[in-house]
Parts: sequence; structure tokens; C-alpha cells
Amino acid sequence: MAAFQRVASSLSTSASSYGSCKDAGADVTVSDQFPAGLRVLVVDDDITCLRLLEKMLCRCLYHVTTCSQATAALKLLRERKGYFDVVLSDVHMPDMDGFKLLELVGLEMDLPVIMMSADGRTSAVMRGIRHGACDYLIKPIREEELKNIWQHVIRKKWNENKEQEHSGSFEDNDCYKQGNDDIENASSVNEGGEEGVLKGQKKRNIAKEEDDNELENDDPSASKKPRVVWSVELHQQFVSAVNQLGIDKAVPKRILELMNVPGLTRENVASHLQKFRLYLKRLSGVAQQGGISNTFCGLMDSNVKVNPFGRFDIQTLDASGQIPPQTLAALHAELFGRPTGSLVTAVDQPALLQASMQGPKCIPVEHGVAFGQPLVKCQSNISKHFPRNVISFEDVASGFGAWPSNSNGTVGPSSNLGGMNGQNSNMLMDILQQQKQQQQSQQQSPLPEPSRSINVQPSCLVVPSQSSATFQAGNSHASVDHNCSYNRSAMIDYSLLSPQLNNSSLNIGQISNGDLKTTSVSGYSGSVSISPLSPCSVNPDNTSQQGRSSTMAIQVGRQLPGFVPNISNFQGSYSAKSSEVLDQRPLRNLGFTGECTSIPSWLAVDEFESTMRNLDHEKFYMDISGNKVKQEPSIEFVDNARVGIPILQQLPPSPSDLMSVCTE
Amino acid sequence: MLGWGVDRLRADMSRLLAILFHQGVLDEQFLQLQQLQDESSPNFVSEVVNIYFHESEKLLRNLRGLLLDREFSDYKKMGIHLNQFMGSSSSIGANRVRNVCVAFRAASEQNNRAGCLRALELLEHEYCYLKNKLHELFQMEQQRVLAAGARYPLQQQQH
Repeated sequence: MAAFQRVASSLSTSASSYGSCKDAGADVTVSDQFPAGLRVLVVDDDITCLRLLEKMLCRCLYHVTTCSQATAALKLLRERKGYFDVVLSDVHMPDMDGFKLLELVGLEMDLPVIMMSADGRTSAVMRGIRHGACDYLIKPIREEELKNIWQHVIRKKWNENKEQEHSGSFEDNDCYKQGNDDIENASSVNEGGEEGVLKGQKKRNIAKEEDDNELENDDPSASKKPRVVWSVELHQQFVSAVNQLGIDKAVPKRILELMNVPGLTRENVASHLQKFRLYLKRLSGVAQQGGISNTFCGLMDSNVKVNPFGRFDIQTLDASGQIPPQTLAALHAELFGRPTGSLVTAVDQPALLQASMQGPKCIPVEHGVAFGQPLVKCQSNISKHFPRNVISFEDVASGFGAWPSNSNGTVGPSSNLGGMNGQNSNMLMDILQQQKQQQQSQQQSPLPEPSRSINVQPSCLVVPSQSSATFQAGNSHASVDHNCSYNRSAMIDYSLLSPQLNNSSLNIGQISNGDLKTTSVSGYSGSVSISPLSPCSVNPDNTSQQGRSSTMAIQVGRQLPGFVPNISNFQGSYSAKSSEVLDQRPLRNLGFTGECTSIPSWLAVDEFESTMRNLDHEKFYMDISGNKVKQEPSIEFVDNARVGIPILQQLPPSPSDLMSVCTE
Repeated sequence: MLGWGVDRLRADMSRLLAILFHQGVLDEQFLQLQQLQDESSPNFVSEVVNIYFHESEKLLRNLRGLLLDREFSDYKKMGIHLNQFMGSSSSIGANRVRNVCVAFRAASEQNNRAGCLRALELLEHEYCYLKNKLHELFQMEQQRVLAAGARYPLQQQQH
């Protein structure tokens, strides 16, 4: 508590005017009883949860207002501006999507919004992050989690102040890469808060926090002055000023002078510069090859700020409203329109590629694309490819634009990107050259081939170049279990398979979904060579996706969901043939294994498998009691699909319980 | 003797709860729910659980209505109901119900109508079981309170 007090005292404000911030330095002031009295607005259409949350928040000594409708909540927020400190909202609500509410609140009232949902899948959480949620809580929500929500309020306020104060000293690029992890660490909020406050002057904190937390960071001057809108022209002026000075010599003061725009303050420029740098840094992070973990989760988490795909940044920036797409496009135009003496193809610009994540050193060719419109297009392409249900990738994919597949079929989007590559890369290179030269004179990893852009996940992520039609039809998710913790890195992302991918070598290395609670294995088809599994042949006659996916699934090699004992008997019934089944057989769902209470992550694949099994035969029943299951023979395994896989035999006790219940 | 009745009731309740936990019908979230009950809201648990029952029955009716419709195709809508059911169930600690919801959701995402029907049956079954058991629990609690109140000050439910 002592640390707490120190934070509280260093942030001082009256309890009633919780939201007001002093301009004097890093001082966001709160009362001594902080965070008691935090004014929370909870929005959830589920009355049960609403009541529970209300009670828990009261216990935390917060001041709670509840609302079961988003529209009513919005009305309340608008009527009483400045009355609330933080908003907790459910994602799925009948009258308005939670994310929409999130955006509106962020735009109009600029309050931190925490999303909640029963859906804890990585994809869903990713959506939350992309929309700019300060946090994403998964139901059931515990009181401890609620106790911590005040940190978001403080962080936001603190960031605003920080920006105002220290907007001048952004010379040091390198400090960006060091985040202040403490601040974001929910489990050590007190320390983090304190450190953050004490370290006030460091941009790195701001950078990191902005990066990781405040996707919808607002203009620091917003709280004091009218928000500056960085229009296309203004941004162009900014960029040209920066280019003139050189990215590492670009200080707000000089930029301001060069821009010579009346009414623009140094603070505005400073904050914009900061964002710009972050943006460039993220782009440069694309080249990162080694540092990226195998798991997507890891990728997401650790690379959120070094997202190789500028698109993500763009989105982020877009979401934050700071840099409208047109501006970005202008930026590109600006960057690329400059006649460059050093026009070099991507290949000739090894210098540009830099694996390090530090500073805007280089931008991989492919990702040079990460600007504005083209990306937007790509994104939409991608989203087509990744319909909602895709495991964990839907948002990733769309968020991340095109993941270039490794050396094989580049994905649709990436091909779009490819188109831009030449041109963009030149321009980008040019700019980066400047910086690079000024900054460092070394490390230049050769440009990876365009097709290999981010090898990070390349082995993991395969982006089908085909249309999404297959996905949509085939998306089925076998829900494994709510409690599964998918930390395995050896998961395969089925979502990426498309039926026509017979020849594309999709190297599905690993797909890890850190929190895939339910994974769906569905009718993905296509031949996929999944490492480490040995490649399996695709049955050309598999017409339906399901059929194919079965092939695929087999290849996965993980298989059998041990959770259903019966299923293990069915291995034989797995049919890779298209003959029957596949066609429109709805995927039988193994799901009714309400029985499984805990399934290890890799079972996700298994789900799929068993699904596939079920697919074949209508006669294939999975009785709840687990006893009668008929199977049909005629299965063709392709290679190892088999059950050589470690079947997870950990059957939770519940199946038997369930059975007893059923038989009661 | 009243005191003796109270103790026995309490023991019965404990036993019932233990069984429910063991069966996985309830999980530790239910404990959290119990802990939220205090002097300022002495009937918090039963209040919330009753809200849950009320809402759940609505959801179950909706789900059944959706599925029984011959031309049913709106899996998305079903998914939304399920999501809510999952959220509220997990929030009160109805573990098995929540698990069936998860499976149900999987079936619905695969547009597997037969699977959904099966899951719905299972869901209704689990829900009924839960409801019966919780009613039992509340009845015992009521009796205990009465018995205790006759002689001792109202005691909080402790677990």
C-alpha cells in the first residue's frame, strides 16, 4: 500500500474532479483514497453479469452505474460528460456492437473502455485490441481483475500529460524499443504506476505505453485545446519537413519552423512526430526475422508494436483517428513521389533491411507497402479470406494485412503488395536510407525475397490465395474447451487452407493460439504440407471442403481428441474420401462433448479430426453416453494422420459424470 | 433442538455443495459469488441465481425456437444467444452448463443442425439438473436461516 500511496500522492487530484489533470508535469492527481471513488459505467445486456459486476465493483469501492443497453449508456455518457472515468462494456449486445460503442466513446469522450466477453478466443481478443480497447476481460470476471481497472485511467491521463510536457525531446530513437514493462504489467500495477510516474521524463514510457496500450491515444493537446486534425496537406508538410531535417535530426521545434503553419504548436508537432516514429519503427520491425516467436500469440504480444505490417499500424493509427487513410496515402505519395536519386530495387537495397527492431532503419520491401490505401485494399482482401470464424487468424490476418506466405503462393494480398513493392520500396528506401545513414552504418541484412517477407511466422501462417468461399463454407469450429490453454506452439492454422491449394506449399508450421479456447477445425481443404508432419497427399477427388480438410487434418497428426473416449474408437472411421460425406454433411460435432472439460490446446486439431470422422457418416453417432457410436469403415488415412498422434487421454472426469447424470 | 437442526442443515448443504463441485456442476466462480454476499446484500446469491434462471430460460426458449424452426439458418443469432448463456453461466460458476455451451457453439459454427439439437438437449438437461440442485441448496439455506434465526443471529453463508 505504501507504493500505492506514493503514487496516489504524486498524482493528486480531488476525488470529485477525477478527470481533470494538472498541466504541471506528470502530475495527474488523484485523491488519497484512490482508486476508491472511481466512477465506472458498466454496460452489459446480460443482467446476471451486470448484477455481479455491480456488486464486485462496489466491493472495490468504485462508484458504479449500470446500463443494460448500449444506446442508453451512450446517452448517459453524452449527457454527463466528464462524469465517468472508465467504461466497461460487453462485446455482444443486441442494440449496438460493443466495439462500436468503444469507438464512439473513444472519439467523443475519450474515456478508457474495457471490453468484456465470454468469448476468450484469441481472435476475439485481437479484435478488441484492434478497436482500441484498453483491456479485454474474459468472463467469468473475477473481482481481482476489476480492482485493477483504475490503471487504465491513470495511464491514459498520465500519457496525455507526459506528451504535453516532454514533447520536445524526441531525439533518441533507441529508447523507443525499451518499453516500460512495468507499467503495463497488470500484476504489478502499483509498482508500475509508480515507476511510470517517477520516470516521467522518459519518452520510452510513453512510446511503449502508447504502443501497447493506447491504440486510441489521443492528441495530448486535446484536453486543453481543440484537437489538431492532421489533414493530408498538413501531414505532407510535416513529412517533407522531417525529410528535410532527417528523421533523427527532426525535432519538433525545427519541424514547426519548417512547416510554418500558423496555429500549430510545438506540442502538436511533437506528438505527431512521436507517432510517426512509432509508425516507422513498426515498419522496420517487419524485417525482424529471428526475434519473433513461433507462436502467433507470441507474435501478437511481443510484436504488437513492431508489427511487420504497416497495415496494422495504419489501422491502429486510423483507429486512433490520428492519421486518416488519406493522410497516409498522402504520406506514401509524398514519400514515394519524391524523385529519388537512389532508386534501387528492393533487392539492391540490402542495407535497408534490418532485422533489428530499433528505430526506423529499414523497411522491407514488401512492407514498404504498408501505407495507406493499398493496404486498405489488401486488408479487405484478407478479410475476405479470413472469415470470422477462422481460428485466431481472422483478426490477425486482417489486422496484419498480408502475411506473405513463405516462398510459395503468395497470398492474394501480398500480391497486391507486391505490386507496390517496387515503387514503394524505392521511395521508402530512400527515406530510410537517410535515416539509416545518419544513424548507423552497418548491419544490413540482405533483403529477403519479397515472398519471404516475414519469416516470422511464415512457416506458421499460410495465407491462401484463393477466395474465401471455402472458408465460409467450411468454417467449423470444434470447440475444444473453454478452459484449454493453448499455449502450444505446435498448432496448425487450418484457417489458412483453401481448397484449391493443392499445389501451394503452405507450410503450416505452427499455429499457436495462445488462448484459443475453442478452436475450430473445419472443412479446410487443400493440400497443406504441415511441418513437422510429413506431407500428405491431397485427395484430388475431395470435392467438398470437408473432405479435404479431413485430409488435412490427418496430416496434422495430432489428432484424436482424447476427450471423447469413443472417438478413439473411431479412428478407423476417418475417411478421407470424398465419396460420401463430404458434401454437405454438416460437420458432426464432436462438440457435444460437453464432456470435455479440459482439452489441451493441440486437441484443437483433434477436434477437427474427429469432426471429420463424423463427417463421413451420418450414421456416425456420438451418443452422449458415449456408448453407441457407429462407424463406417472405408477410411483412408493418408500417412501419418493416424493416431500415432499422442492422443490425449486426459479425459476429465466429467464425461463419466455427465453420463451418470444422463442416466439418472 | 434448533441448534442441532442448524448444524445438520449446514452439514447437508456442505455435502451437497461438495458433490456439486465434485461433479463439476459448479466451480470456484460459485465460491466467488458466495463471497459477494454480505450484510449489505444478504440474499445476493439467491438473487443473482434467480436472475440467472430467469434469463437462461428465456435463452433456452429462444434457442429451442430457433432450432425447431424448419427453415432455421441463422446460426449467427444462435451464437449470440449462446455467447450470452456462456457468459452468465460461467459468471455464476455453472461449469457444466458452460461447457455444453462451448460445444454447442462449436456445432453452431459448423452449421451443424443435428449437432446443435443434440447439444441443446444436453444443455437443457444440464440446466435442469443445476436448477434443481440449486433450488435444493436454497431451500436448505432457508430452513437453516429459519432454524438459526429462531435462536441465533442471522449467520452469513460461509464457504
